[in-house]
Amino acid sequence: MGNYVTRRARKVIHESLASLVLCGPALFLYAGFIVTPAILGFAYSLTDWTGWNRTPRFIGLANFREAFTDSRFFDAIRFTLFETALIVFFFSFGTMLLAILLDRLRVFKGAIRGLFFYPYILSILVSALLFQYLANYNEGVINTLLRGAGLGRFAQDWMGDPRWVAYFIFALVAWNGAGFFTTVYLANLQTIPADLYEAARIDGAGAFTVFTRIQFPMLLPTLTTNSVLALITGINLFPQIVVTTQGGPGWRTFSIGYYIYHLGVLSNRQGYAAAISFITFAALVAIAAVQVAILRRRQVAL
Amino acid sequence: MTRKRLRVPVFEIVMLALGLLFVSPCFIALLNSFKTLREITLSPLALPSALAWDNYAYLFTGVKLAQPMLNSLLMCIAVILALVTTAPMAAYSIMRRDMRTGKFLRVFFLAGLTIPFQIIMVPLLQQFRLLGIQFTYLALLVHYVSWGLPLCIFIYSGFMATIPKELEESASIDGCGPIATFWRIIFPLLAPCTITVVIFWGLWIWNDFMQAFIIMGTNKGQLVFVQLWRFLSDKYVKNWNYIFAGVVVLSMPVTILYLAMQRRFIKGLMAGAIK
Repeated sequence: MGNYVTRRARKVIHESLASLVLCGPALFLYAGFIVTPAILGFAYSLTDWTGWNRTPRFIGLANFREAFTDSRFFDAIRFTLFETALIVFFFSFGTMLLAILLDRLRVFKGAIRGLFFYPYILSILVSALLFQYLANYNEGVINTLLRGAGLGRFAQDWMGDPRWVAYFIFALVAWNGAGFFTTVYLANLQTIPADLYEAARIDGAGAFTVFTRIQFPMLLPTLTTNSVLALITGINLFPQIVVTTQGGPGWRTFSIGYYIYHLGVLSNRQGYAAAISFITFAALVAIAAVQVAILRRRQVAL
Repeated sequence: MTRKRLRVPVFEIVMLALGLLFVSPCFIALLNSFKTLREITLSPLALPSALAWDNYAYLFTGVKLAQPMLNSLLMCIAVILALVTTAPMAAYSIMRRDMRTGKFLRVFFLAGLTIPFQIIMVPLLQQFRLLGIQFTYLALLVHYVSWGLPLCIFIYSGFMATIPKELEESASIDGCGPIATFWRIIFPLLAPCTITVVIFWGLWIWNDFMQAFIIMGTNKGQLVFVQLWRFLSDKYVKNWNYIFAGVVVLSMPVTILYLAMQRRFIKGLMAGAIK
């Protein structure tokens, strides 16, 4: 009996040691360097912590209250939502159209799809530099083409002009990510059974009817995923701004992400920056939940 | 006799043209990387009159890209080695061993997928400062691995559900301990996942600019894209000739890999959809 107990105890110890060896390293790194800073971030958001050396003072929800009266923050929200709207629309419907076209290819399939996917493997810094160059006033390609066509008076500093810069940032995000979203749609299109198309053909349905009656309903699950991923891309818009405009001209392209970076890393207002990042995170989760709920309902209705 | 008429693939030609137009910024970069700055300014779309190889030479003499390229490569290797050992081990213990905490840990790791970088950025820098490793490669390595873990564990756990349990049972009857079972039986079966992780994170780390820039600061040794960024943000006037040469050189390795194994590459990147 005693022998049995010690054998059992030894087995339990052995098993937990094995679990520790297996799971320990990942758990340590993840808990220590992702979860801990996330919790610390929330703690900082309740303080007036300004920089590296001062001891932070607890100030309750003052940072959150300040955020709701901060006009800079509202400008950032407005700009971010504008970009997000364009990004979500393009990554939901623009890439859907592109995928349907690419799905109809009979020859050069791989090559043509490969071309549209290619920018996705490039660094954000590379695509940002390419677009900055295209939009450049003096030697940029867009202005060169305009001048060549005798339309030189329309030439301008596209990324330095408050009216145009938002569209260029959108174009840069769209160019970089289109390959990914299109490929997700393509994968879904290939799961549509051939006899559905066959039946439609026998009924004499045109391409448009095939789209509205077969392809669009079958693509709805992917539409849900893609639009949520696009939403996350839009709300978190940040590296593209650091690399291209740094918030300029003026404060025109301060996205929420860039504003957080500006406050936290450049202006030493860590506590306030943390508060804003939590407000944004909560808003993102809320919008995504509503979006998924609406699209799910539509999926059921069909 | 029926004469088979050769159908001209008009639609395909139009799509090919659109595709080429889509990637034309890359061709423009390639073209202009062989011109002098003066020539880029005067005729941005023309073919280069002479090949200005100096642009490329300057990358190594002026921008000093050789060391950062080695740094980036080593960083990719180190992060990937850490990820493809720790992540599958964790996934195995969560999915396969009857741990009471297994279910909780699965959700705990999954939650990491939703945390954006902006939230952890500033506290993380502070943490590295307290640990005395701020602005070091070690800090960046630790960050990259922790940042990659939730996604990798997610990919590995999903795949692990498809492996039959009998394999491990027979191994344990043969007297294999759990750790030996994992390395001898399970790990080799996870090879498709491991390839995905290597492609996804290799590309991600090579291309990363933002996180390396924030964690490492802008002094001392650097990874490739931070070094390129440092070079171009130093100057008021943009030296497009060097920038284009840099863009071409730094995109070359990923482009070659992409052309060599397009299918694998796309599949690997798709698996990382949620990041």
